[in-house]
Order: sequence, then C-alpha cells, then structure tokens
Amino acid sequence: MECPVCIETFKHGDFNEISEHFTLMSNDNDSEHISWLNNNISKTKLEKNELSKLFKRFYSCNDIKLWIINKFIEQFRGERPHPFILMMQDYNPRILKGYSFEHYFFLKQWVRSCSSIIASTDIDEIQNYEIENILSEYYGHDNIKPHIELLLEMAESYDIKREDIYNSRPLPKTEMAIKRWQVMSKAKTAVEMMAAMHSLELIANNDLRSYGAKYDYFNLKMLESSDVPDAVKSFLMEGYKADSHHSIDALDIINKYNSDIEGIQDSYLESAFVFSKYLEARIERGEIIEDKQQ
Amino acid sequence: MRLLKTNNNDGCALCNATWGEYYREIDNEKMLFCCNICADIFENMVNEVKKRTGWEKIDYIELHGNYSSGRNCTAFSNGKRFSYYFRTYSDGKIMEFKNID
Ligand SMILES: [Zn+2]
Ligand SMILES: [Zn+2]
Repeated sequence: MECPVCIETFKHGDFNEISEHFTLMSNDNDSEHISWLNNNISKTKLEKNELSKLFKRFYSCNDIKLWIINKFIEQFRGERPHPFILMMQDYNPRILKGYSFEHYFFLKQWVRSCSSIIASTDIDEIQNYEIENILSEYYGHDNIKPHIELLLEMAESYDIKREDIYNSRPLPKTEMAIKRWQVMSKAKTAVEMMAAMHSLELIANNDLRSYGAKYDYFNLKMLESSDVPDAVKSFLMEGYKADSHHSIDALDIINKYNSDIEGIQDSYLESAFVFSKYLEARIERGEIIEDKQQ
Repeated sequence: MRLLKTNNNDGCALCNATWGEYYREIDNEKMLFCCNICADIFENMVNEVKKRTGWEKIDYIELHGNYSSGRNCTAFSNGKRFSYYFRTYSDGKIMEFKNID
C-alpha cells in the first residue's frame, strides 16, 4: 500500500499505517496531505482508529473497474468537478490554447508510458491494446490523423506555431506529473501502469454520465457553433470518441488481470493525484498566453 | 480593536477543515488555518479586497464555496459591504477574482 500523495510505502492492506502517516503529515500542517484528506476522507480531524476505518472504506472494492470509475467521477466530473471541466462548459479559446501547449508534453510522455507497458508484459491482449493506443494517439492509422496532429492543428487555428510549442517547456505542474509517470513506469506492473494511464482517458469519456458523472468533458454545443474553428471541433470530437473506448476497454483488461487489487488502486490514485495538477497547468498556460498578448 | 473573523468557526478560516494547525497574523488577528496554502490564499484575498475597496481593515468575511467552484464571498468593514467571487489553483495562486454587484 502506498500514499497517493508522496508514494511512501506501507504494509499490504495496513490501514493503520497509512492513517498514522496522514495523521503525522497533517500534524506537520502539510498542505498536500491535508487537502487529500479533506477531499477524499473527511474534513474533520479524526482519531487514528476512526481514520483507519474510513481508509478501509475508501479502499473497499468489489469491482476494480467500477471503483476506478467512481473515484474518477468524484474527483473530476462529479458534483465538485475539476476547475478545468467547469471551464470547458463554455467556449473559452484561452483554455484551449493552454491545452495545446501542455497536452503536447503530456502526449510525449503518454507514448513512453504505453511503451513501458508493452515492454513489461508478454500478454498479447495488453500489447495489442497499447499498440493500437499509440497509433491513434501518436502515429495515425487508416487515414485517421493521430491525436497529437489534431492537437497541433487546433493550436494553428489559434495562430500558434508548432515550433512555438516544440520550443517551449512544460509548466512545473505538467513537469511534476511527467516525472511521476516516468518513475511509475519503472516500478509498476503492466496492469498497474494501465490503470495509472488509461483511467485518465475517462476525462473525455462520453458515456460517463451513465455511471453518475454530472458534467460532459466539454460543452457539446461547441461542436455546432460557428465561433469555434473546425480544427478545434475535430480535436475535441476525436478525443471524445477515442478516449471512450480506450478507457473502458482498458478497464476491462485491468479487471481481467486483476491479481493485485491494491497495487492497481495505488497506481490509479498516484496518477490521478498528479493528473489534477496537470489539468491546472492547462488553465495556467492559457492565462500566461493571454497575459503575453495584452 | 476590531478583529478579522470569518463564518468558518470549526477550524481553518478558509476551508473550515480541522486537520492541521497553522497560525498566521492577518490584520492583527492571529488566525488559524489548516496549512500554509490556505493561509496564503486567505492573505492574498484580504489584500485584493483592500486594494479594490480602499479599506484599511476588514471586520468579517463570509465565504461560501470550495476549490472546485471557487468561492462567493462578502466582506464587511465599518458597516460597508463588498461582494466578490474568487478561485485559486491548488498551490494558492489566484486564478480568478471578480467583483459582484
Ligand atoms: Zn504521504
Ligand atoms: Zn484550510
């Protein structure tokens, strides 16, 4: 068992140890651990035994696919969605410009993470899944442009040159997330790493409302609006279609090879923790671009 | 002397959580927060309110909301009131701040 915030490791299934860790960190006024407790466990300070019970409940799981979907919805597309999701409910060129920059670096890491999964398994189903994912995200297939190309075309529709993106550096929040995914891809099993990466594709899943999501990835009216450039529509539409089956297919594979549920949960939570920061970087980059233009 | 209070009485002056115990002096009031980030957010917000209103001191702030939606607030000073909305990044940086009529 690992701390989702700082990846400190504890004995398998030991909710007392992780509770003690969070108690110690909150006694030190550590903002990341406190904020994680507030959002996931309780805003009220609890004695170790009580806290341990709530941790046990948080991790309790009969179906790992549904557990991940529920946790994801709660953090990103539920009653209290991520600010990035809220901002995507209106057409907001600033956010999409920021998205173009930061997501380029995300995708560069994405393909490395997928490759690490291929390298760490001999299960055909997993390898084939990842190869198909790399093709659609990074290389293209059957005359369909890869996601990374659609991203750059979206940027160009806002007069951002590809070279400006190639020559930029990711913002610190994106960089921090990329570093964590690089560390994870060396330490995790193929199935754990699949949970870490492909669960994130739930962000754009168009069927997530049937699982309880309260928000779409973006305001679907944008696809019909004449204010929105075609390249932006193509980018959003492609992700919307592809990420839906990517995320659910991956969760089915994870469910099938789920020999270590706790390892999968750890891996998902550690990745979701930095993904939330990364989504903030998209907003922050939009703000930087706008400030420069003024 | 008038001291700055908020409607969060259980714990942290910004988020009301009872984890953590971090103090910072703001407007002559030693205020309790859960962590340095909540203290930074609160302090930046107080400074922004003073900048926009020209007030020297604030008596009371009513805060409603959270990280996701941002916060709708009303600040009171000497019988005057000022309503605003603000939202921050998780590291405390201000993302949006606007006056509400
Ligand atoms: Zn930790
Ligand atoms: Zn707080």
